[in-house]
Amino acid sequence: MKILVIEDEAALCETMVAYLEEEGYRCEQAGTVELGSEKVNLYEYDCMLVDIGLPDGSGLSLIKELKKCHPETGIIIISAKNSLDDKISGLDLGADDYLTKPFHLPELNSRIKSLLRRRKFEGKQELVIEEIIIQPENRQVFVGGEQLPLTRKEFDLLMFFVSNRGRVLTKESIAEHLWGDFADSADSFDFVYSHIKNLRRKLLERTGTDYFQNVYGTGYTFIA
Amino acid sequence: MKLQTKINIRFLAVTFLVFSVAGVLFYFALDKVVNQNIREMLESRKAYIILNLQQNTPTSESIESPDHSIFIKRTEKTEQYIVFSDTMAYDQEEKELIPFRKMTFSVHSGGQHYEVILLQSLLESEDLQMIIFSFMAALFGIVLLALFFLNRWLSNKAWNPFFKSLSVLNNWKIGESQAVSFDRTGISEFDQLNSTLENMMQKIQTDFVNLKEFTENASHEIQTPLAIIKSKLEMVLQDKTLNDHQYQRIRAAFESANRLSKLNEALLLLSKIENRQFVDSSEIDFCMLIQSRLEYLEELFALKQIEVTVHLEKQVTFSMNPLLADILINNLLSNALRHNVKKGKIIISSENQGITISNTSEQAEMDVSRLFRRFAKQTTASESNGLGLAIAHEICNNYDLELNYRYLNGMHCMTIRQKSQISTNL
Repeated sequence: MKILVIEDEAALCETMVAYLEEEGYRCEQAGTVELGSEKVNLYEYDCMLVDIGLPDGSGLSLIKELKKCHPETGIIIISAKNSLDDKISGLDLGADDYLTKPFHLPELNSRIKSLLRRRKFEGKQELVIEEIIIQPENRQVFVGGEQLPLTRKEFDLLMFFVSNRGRVLTKESIAEHLWGDFADSADSFDFVYSHIKNLRRKLLERTGTDYFQNVYGTGYTFIA
Repeated sequence: MKLQTKINIRFLAVTFLVFSVAGVLFYFALDKVVNQNIREMLESRKAYIILNLQQNTPTSESIESPDHSIFIKRTEKTEQYIVFSDTMAYDQEEKELIPFRKMTFSVHSGGQHYEVILLQSLLESEDLQMIIFSFMAALFGIVLLALFFLNRWLSNKAWNPFFKSLSVLNNWKIGESQAVSFDRTGISEFDQLNSTLENMMQKIQTDFVNLKEFTENASHEIQTPLAIIKSKLEMVLQDKTLNDHQYQRIRAAFESANRLSKLNEALLLLSKIENRQFVDSSEIDFCMLIQSRLEYLEELFALKQIEVTVHLEKQVTFSMNPLLADILINNLLSNALRHNVKKGKIIISSENQGITISNTSEQAEMDVSRLFRRFAKQTTASESNGLGLAIAHEICNNYDLELNYRYLNGMHCMTIRQKSQISTNL
């Protein structure tokens, strides 16, 4: 899977690329509209991450360009401008998703995975983790051929963990994944804790394996 | 009071005063002229009588003219005198008492002393005076009326450009309208006013745009380094070789970076609200909004075992930006949840165009003067950044709504309602 990262902030670009490469993606970087446009026209990518505010123009023009030559490529906008206008015009142009800086890397990763699943396999791909089978399309989970009933939030949580297998997921990133902008509402960490407790118990009962690992004071890791 | 009414009232008052004073003066002047006239008439008759007395000595003790206007009698008095007085006498022709001016004087002629009494009727002159005066009064009335209408018409015409400019100003909304231009009026003062207004509005508009750009740029410039800090720390946290100590330190740095980024977002939001950058608004059904938020928060309430009572039978709608309405309700509900106690209560009710969210809490009554201020945290041990209520308050302010706090029966109550009519009209 090839991903094009268009971001002018070198340090941020580097971190994103490092994280994604660890996930097994091949990444290319571009820091300007000009460079981005060159790459978009020359090569094919599975996904493009594009910053709106670039030094030599708006990332929105790149979206237009990409849509013309490779409409099958997934597009995720990354912007610091949390303004509704940018979001709407970006999505109107054909972007698939929108992330506001600062974001959590696991969140970016999970968005890319879900986007690629939708684009490449029309969502029909099954995720298999040992004896757990996840059907993202109809939001069902099977363990040993039998369905595992999960609440909506528990399913989202499982998908987030599965997308970031072996990673340390901080409480903040989990809360933000489940709650979006309202993650800082009240005691969301307690809420994260109780959901993970439930999910962990359900999986443990059915599989006999504890997939979750506490990371001291920080968060959790899904090990499989 | 309207400008024209005020001008008209003053104009009429002054005109009326001037006319009244002029009327009184005119009356006295007229009176004086008539008196003088009568006196002169009497004097000329006096001269004629004296002349006559000197030529012909009267034969009898006293003589009276047929019309009773001259009466001459012989007298022993030797001193010279002349006396004027007013008297009433019966007039044969008019058959009534009419006023006369009476002149009494002495004449020395042919070794004899005479006393002469002359009577001059005042009836005609009084009539004349009356006619002149009422004519003048009528004239004054007509002039007054004409001046009033003329003045109204003139001021209407003269102030017309002003009212035009006023309506342009009233319809002007910062951040929404295009550049404003006023028509040329041809009146230098108004043209001057309009050009000053134009410049001012242009300045305000550019300042507004600059400020807007600044806040967006500031957001961008601060959020990017923060994103880098956060992502780098997140990467470090993935490192399996870290020991607990190192984890703790990075964890603390990560938490602070998170808080900083939330704080930055909240402050930016606040300044955007203050700058009125959320322009479009629509009618929002707050009961529906609260219901949907409650469903979202359901799990959190359950976790804290909070009993939520909802009385939203009366529909309440406010005109507001949808995003801000969301933030407002979210902040208030989060607040009610965050500061609640385990197994506490939240009561949400709607009554005549107002919504009240009440919650139990460990804290006693809050200090209202500090409650809506920024960073006015009244508890230290909370994740709140102290901006939630400030933002809620600012949103309400922006839409002429009131956010009130009361402490009732051990519950903290927040009420949103339309500001009272009097204050909105001001």
